[in-house]
Amino acid sequence: MKLLFEKRKTTSVTALILVPFVSFLVSLVLTALLLAIFGANPFKTFGAMAVGAFGSSHGFAETLVKAIPLMMTGLGVAIAFKLKFWNIGAEGQLTMGGVAAAGVALFMERFLPGRSLLVGALLGGLLAGALWAGVPALLKTSLKVDETLVTLMMNYIAILYSEFLYYGPWRDPKGYGFPGSRMFSADAWLPRIMGRAHIGIWIALALAIILWVVLKRTRWGFELQIIGASQKAARYQGIAVERNIALAVMLSGALCGLAGAFEVTGISHRLQQGLSIGYGYTAIIVAWMSQLNPLAVPFVAVALAALAVGGDQVQMVMGLPAAMGVVMQGLILFPMLAGSLFTEYRLSVVRPEAKAVCPDPVEE
Amino acid sequence: MSDTAIPKVEMRNISKSFPGVLANDCVDLKLRKGEVLALLGENGAGKSTLMNVLCGLYRPDRGEIYIDGKYAEIHSPRDAQKYGIGMVHQNFKLVDSMNVLENTILGLRDEPFVPDLKRVRSRLVGLAEQYHLDVDPNASIWQLSVGEQQRVEILKLLYRNAEILILDEPTAVLTPQESHELNRVVHVMKQEGKSAIFITHKMEEVMEFSDRVMVLRKGKVVAETDTSATTPKELARMMVGRDVLFQIEKKPMTPGKVVLELSHIEALGDRGLPALKDVSFQLRAGEILGIAGVAGNGQRELAEVVTGLRRSSKGKMQIEGEDMTNKSPLEIIRRGVAHIPQDRASVGAAGDLSVASNLAMKQYRSRPLATGIFLLQKKIFEFAGRLIEKFKISTPSPKTQVKFLSGGNIQKTILAREIGAARTLMVAVYPSRGLDVGATETVRRQLVSQRDAGLGVLFFSEDLDELLQISDRVAVLFEGKIMGIFDANTVNIDHIGMLMAGMDREAGA
Amino acid sequence: MKKIILGLVAMLMVVSLVLPATAQAKKPLKVAFVYIGPPGDLGWTYEHERGRLAVQKYFGDKIETKYVENVPEGPDAERIIRQYAIQGFDVIFATSFGYMDPTYAVAQEFPNVIFEHCSGYKTAPNMATYFGRIEEARYLTGIIAGRMTKSNKIGYVAAFGIPEVVRGINGFTLGVRSVNPNAKVQVVWTNTWYDPVKEREAAVALLDAGCDIIAQHQDTTEPQKAAQERGKLSIGYDSDMGKFVGDTVLASAVWDWGTYYIATIQNVLNGTWKTHAFWGGLKDNIAGLSALSPRVPASVKKEVEGAQKKIMSGWSIFTGPIKDQSGKVVYKSGEVIPDDKQLSMDWFVEGVVGKVQ
Repeated sequence: MKLLFEKRKTTSVTALILVPFVSFLVSLVLTALLLAIFGANPFKTFGAMAVGAFGSSHGFAETLVKAIPLMMTGLGVAIAFKLKFWNIGAEGQLTMGGVAAAGVALFMERFLPGRSLLVGALLGGLLAGALWAGVPALLKTSLKVDETLVTLMMNYIAILYSEFLYYGPWRDPKGYGFPGSRMFSADAWLPRIMGRAHIGIWIALALAIILWVVLKRTRWGFELQIIGASQKAARYQGIAVERNIALAVMLSGALCGLAGAFEVTGISHRLQQGLSIGYGYTAIIVAWMSQLNPLAVPFVAVALAALAVGGDQVQMVMGLPAAMGVVMQGLILFPMLAGSLFTEYRLSVVRPEAKAVCPDPVEE
Repeated sequence: MSDTAIPKVEMRNISKSFPGVLANDCVDLKLRKGEVLALLGENGAGKSTLMNVLCGLYRPDRGEIYIDGKYAEIHSPRDAQKYGIGMVHQNFKLVDSMNVLENTILGLRDEPFVPDLKRVRSRLVGLAEQYHLDVDPNASIWQLSVGEQQRVEILKLLYRNAEILILDEPTAVLTPQESHELNRVVHVMKQEGKSAIFITHKMEEVMEFSDRVMVLRKGKVVAETDTSATTPKELARMMVGRDVLFQIEKKPMTPGKVVLELSHIEALGDRGLPALKDVSFQLRAGEILGIAGVAGNGQRELAEVVTGLRRSSKGKMQIEGEDMTNKSPLEIIRRGVAHIPQDRASVGAAGDLSVASNLAMKQYRSRPLATGIFLLQKKIFEFAGRLIEKFKISTPSPKTQVKFLSGGNIQKTILAREIGAARTLMVAVYPSRGLDVGATETVRRQLVSQRDAGLGVLFFSEDLDELLQISDRVAVLFEGKIMGIFDANTVNIDHIGMLMAGMDREAGA
Repeated sequence: MKKIILGLVAMLMVVSLVLPATAQAKKPLKVAFVYIGPPGDLGWTYEHERGRLAVQKYFGDKIETKYVENVPEGPDAERIIRQYAIQGFDVIFATSFGYMDPTYAVAQEFPNVIFEHCSGYKTAPNMATYFGRIEEARYLTGIIAGRMTKSNKIGYVAAFGIPEVVRGINGFTLGVRSVNPNAKVQVVWTNTWYDPVKEREAAVALLDAGCDIIAQHQDTTEPQKAAQERGKLSIGYDSDMGKFVGDTVLASAVWDWGTYYIATIQNVLNGTWKTHAFWGGLKDNIAGLSALSPRVPASVKKEVEGAQKKIMSGWSIFTGPIKDQSGKVVYKSGEVIPDDKQLSMDWFVEGVVGKVQ
């Protein structure tokens, strides 16, 4: 008997539903083994993680706090990836979004009275993200410059630029020299709904639905689908391939930029370190695990956020080293990603001894 | 068959299914040493699946393979190679940037890490002479014509000591002359005791090349006979399951106003070399203008210029009297121009999208498929359902990804979409290439009915019989130049053949 | 979607109401520590962890202590601190400057939890701040460095240009210049508390620039190791780094948090805890000087002991005359820099090469 992988011709719905669950079970078993090796009770640890992430309004709010930027950047990355534009610059677009939002919140108070300051900050973030993504998009569509490198490199530029600002010209003069801008006026704070979780969650959820509608139910979305499937086919159908790629990538950047704006106006209320802590990279995992489906992004984002928040408990309650939390996250992600293999391939069992059920050959 | 000798290859009770399709249903196949077997069948009949099983690309659900009477375990192309089985695929597996020598030894395990190219060359040259496979071993693949590339593929197999050669529709890409040469090569191989299997759906090919023919229909063997004991007509009937009309009924043409006029068009090819040189012609409504020529003589470029996909560097193009030179594809589509492109898999269709999406691709911009910015999903499925039925596209569902359809059904999908969108001009590039008899018939009929409906049809084909049968006028394209335009009813086919080869000493018109 | 989330929230709210209720019985005092690095950094966090172990040992089963490591200064810190508060911890020690605002925010929400923030300036009725005048110890190490440098160039790897660090650099430099007015102290900023790689790179850059002694204000021993590998000397910080690196570490300015932690917890247990801003020095034992390396000559050792005695008796290292980098006298002879000016110090004294960020 032999086992053999075969590419599926159609996506199996059963596999689509079953695989994540089975992968998750495998992850739990692996993690449990690891915990047992470290002398921790796996059940207690999982319990603590679940309670930490969902077991209190605070925990749930904190899960949402992490989920919001993951949703926004996950959506952004998913759109770009749909077009086979490998935008790994979500981190930089998020950072520039945060920088622009902070710039508006800090220096536009005189022009934007009351709550319009917040709106201005959010729009600023959106625009900055779009422009930051627009650079690699234009380089790609006009000069065929590889977007992977450009977006990646621009992350560093964005992060260093934001550091320059909060270490330098934007540093709070009353901050005792500590890096970070001054606090925004309360007009630029995003309203909170539970703990530190802010209304960005509703915006993110709405955007997930809107994006799904745009991609699946509008003419533009259809054009993007065609471009994603085959650029040659799109061009042949009279679709302006380059312009649409540039637009979609800027939309991708805008979502990431808005994520950054949410972070500074909703959480930190200032520009400081801790703005870019890898959301833009985790977003790639979010996008892939969602199979680039905007409606799946919120669920995956919440799951990953819960892992991170619950992971704190591993230290705080179980007293295990901090690294254990990260190792567990990896152990949980890996089988999930490996599991996606089974949605694309099927495992078939080959028995060479199997008797054929063909009719007896007709003697010729 | 009353043959007692042990067959070179015996496949017994081979069954292979894909989700929703039983591609091979208890197929038996025997191939004797020194024999050429034609495997005849429509698209989707299971010919390629069966051969992919033999050469190790697919694993059968059931069934066994015996080579020289011994059970053979073939799990990979490498295993197949071990048993002397080699296949020339329709899409050649050659590396463009490498030369013939390098391609020959690419992937060979028993070749040393630093291959002794001198030895390889002398053996290759020897083989080439022995089998009349004339190729420059130092030429890079991209420099070679399609026919030469095919020769390299065959040489590659011979170099690997293949005893059993599988050729998947080998003449589809060849000129008549090249086909004859191939026939000679096969003849030598037979004399050397090698065996060959031809996948084909062309009767002439069966008659010309094979000793024996096996007909597959819907995954089953429906007939097996010596070639000499049958006729093309009988084969066609067995293959399709009904009588086939080889002749298309055609009303006399009633030409209307000029729909397409090219004046002195020049354009560059992908490599930046001139691909079209001073091309001028007129095409009227209700007329089919056939473009004859060996592939690679500017056909694709001409079609692309007409549909706006390629810029012309010189000259003028008018559609219905209006200047459309270098207008965007969308503007040209809006003039009612439809296009069946040469490259179906990646240009004509988007493989990852559903059949319904592919059918809607040309008309999604407006009612009834869209309103404002929104698509009307229900209308699209209704629309797709109608076309699937009308054009007999065989697909499990309108939601099936196009890449899972057979070549013929992909072509029908494109045809259905483009015919629906055509109002003034239809540009059809090799629309029946690789299609089975039934599908070819559909395509030809549709093109003629387009013409009868008052469209201009620009029809590219490599099959001269087809071209002369369908077209009202025929233009010959050679190295980007129009060698002459003739009335299809009166022209001499040999004359066209000469022009296709660039010999215009006795050219008229 | 919305329904699912609301449902989840509702379900979990119920769980959260039940859980703390069961944990409310009279139990040992629960004390949490939030660390910026790992206790294995052998520096800043290592010393706080020693303090935690000391306080745990001292009170035994009367208290229960927990810690969380590698908490970045930024939005994540607030979550961790709040989680401890929610889990019913009675006292939370937040041991990095950047935790100040998060601690303050959480302190507002949990008036019954005591917050102790290290090295900041914000206090509340339930939030105290504590720190030590480590620059007094640094002054003493400066004397050693000033005596033992041959190139008269001393390197200083520094984290952030905040008053805490600036005070340390100035205190050290005053110590150096008190015995060697020709020596210069060159500063390189890393913009991180804990980053072994960056800390090492900064030290190497200073060594390349000709410095023969490396002092530091970081969390790990990497600068010390870098100096040793080049055959150069160093001054340690946080812990007695000579123990981990060797006798090329001439002396270290060390923390002893245990004493403070024990006193604080004792107050909490006695019910006498009040908010405060503790800022002790050598005489309070919170800051101190490690044992000196055998490489330090007896004469220098004597000099150090003299200065130590002087400081213990109440003399401030920030007693004038003190000149700024331009050579201008900013504090006249006998004048002492007042505490509030020390706490917001953002300028360098004469002898420092470099700029406050």
